[in-house]
This record gives sequence, structure tokens and C-alpha cells, in this order.
Amino acid sequence: MVTCKDVIMDLLFDYLDQTLSGELAAELEAHLKICAPCRAYLATYQKTRDLAAAASRPPMPEEMKARLREFLLKKLAEGRS
Amino acid sequence: MDQADEPQLIQRVREGDTGALGTLMGRYGDRVYRLAYGITRNEPDAEEVVQDVFLTLFRKIEGFEGRAALGSWIYRVTTNAALIKRRGKRAQVEVPIEDLLPQFLADGHRQGTLAWLMADWSQTPDKYLLAQENRDLLEQGLNNLPEHYRAVLVLRDVEGLSNEAAAEALGESVPTVKSRLHRARMALRELLSKDLFWPEVARA
Repeated sequence: MVTCKDVIMDLLFDYLDQTLSGELAAELEAHLKICAPCRAYLATYQKTRDLAAAASRPPMPEEMKARLREFLLKKLAEGRS
Repeated sequence: MDQADEPQLIQRVREGDTGALGTLMGRYGDRVYRLAYGITRNEPDAEEVVQDVFLTLFRKIEGFEGRAALGSWIYRVTTNAALIKRRGKRAQVEVPIEDLLPQFLADGHRQGTLAWLMADWSQTPDKYLLAQENRDLLEQGLNNLPEHYRAVLVLRDVEGLSNEAAAEALGESVPTVKSRLHRARMALRELLSKDLFWPEVARA
């Protein structure tokens, strides 16, 4: 029997990565069926991953693009002279 | 995306062709910026990293030509530059990742009150989860992760790189990337649970 610790620390990542062996995946799923805290853990773990992605920065601000362009043109001109 | 033209594009930029510069910036600018910001967590540092990366790109074209796709080379250079930038400015002592991981009892059960163990905020609408106040706390949670863990999280979960590509960008092995990513997610989950959504549960 796998414990909550086994599930969370050792199996969960590969399970979501779909690289866990069939046998271990079945053990994990059997555990989830009877363990509400681990179900809550799995759901919030997945949600955390989604939120991290949603917190990603928007595209580079236009002013920064303009400064970058100016900076590079200056440096490249220096490099050629 | 047409990558075959990239050595020529870079050569044209070096000869002063601003159109080619615009093309390359359009292709990679946002990606470099997102990653740089994701690791450094502040805008001035991210901007310096972006400048460094593009400068390196134009000066060291010979370094990668023909050996790797420009995209993966850029991820590697950006990750490095951002980690170095961050290292120089680290002000406070980082919380060790172990302190942010779930705790277990000797019998293998997770430690905590029943309410804490059962807390499932995954169905909370994004409208609430990503509202400004909570978003600030999410940002704070990301800030609190040790930088090597945050870097993996950004490469994998934000940029969507594979374990292999993230390992290449970081100069680490695939098992290291997987282990760090798992720990980073667990730590962030713990921080979010405590600080954002269930403060009353965490205090109980």
C-alpha cells in the first residue's frame, strides 16, 4: 500500500507527466479513491501549475522595445567603427 | 517560424539592417523578456538581461551557428544571464525549499488539521484567483521561491518547455529538472494555500 507521502513526494509528478509505470499509476489511483486529502492535494497542485502560467508577464512593453532597439543599434555601430 | 534564415538575419543586423533587427526582436523579444522577468522578478533587471542577451546574440553568432536551434540557445543564454543578475542582487536570505514543502507524519500521512488537509481551492473561479489583490500574493509566492526552483518553474510551466529542453537551458540533468520542478510546485502550492486562499485554515 502506498502512503500519502509516497503519492505526493514520489509518484505525483511522474503521474502528471504521464511517465509513471502502469502498475504504480494504478496504485496511485487506488489511493486517490480512498484518500480525500490526496485528491485535494492533486487538484490544488494542478491548479498551482496553471496559476503560475497565468501569472506570466505580458509581452515586452513598447517603450522597452524602443530602448532595446536604440541600445542595440548604438552598440552595433560602435562595434563596426 | 522560419529558422533557416536566422544566421543571415543576424549577419544583416550586424551590417546595420534595422529591418532584420526588428524581425529578430519580434521573434524572440517577448520570450526573452518573459523568461528574464520570471527569474529576476523585477523590470529593470529584466530589461538589462534582455539587452545583454541580444547583444550576445549579435556578437557571438559563431558560437551557436549550425550547432543548435537559435531558440534553445536563447533560452540558455537568458536563463544564465538572469540567474547571474539575480545572484548579484539577492538581498535577503532565501527560505530553504525544505521549509516550504508539505510535512508528513511517521506513518506517511500528511501533517495538518483536517480542514487544512481537505482544503481544495482548485475550483475557485480564476476571476477571483487572478484579481489584483490575489495576483499580488501569487507574485509574492513566486518571489519567495529560491531562484533555481523558480527558473525551472518558469521554463517548464510558463514557457512550456519539455523536461529535456529545460535541462539544456539550465545546464542541469533531466532528473534534477524534474525534482526541482516538483519541489517548486509543491512549495508554491503550500504558499498559495497558506497566504492566499485559506489563511483561516492555516491559522487553525
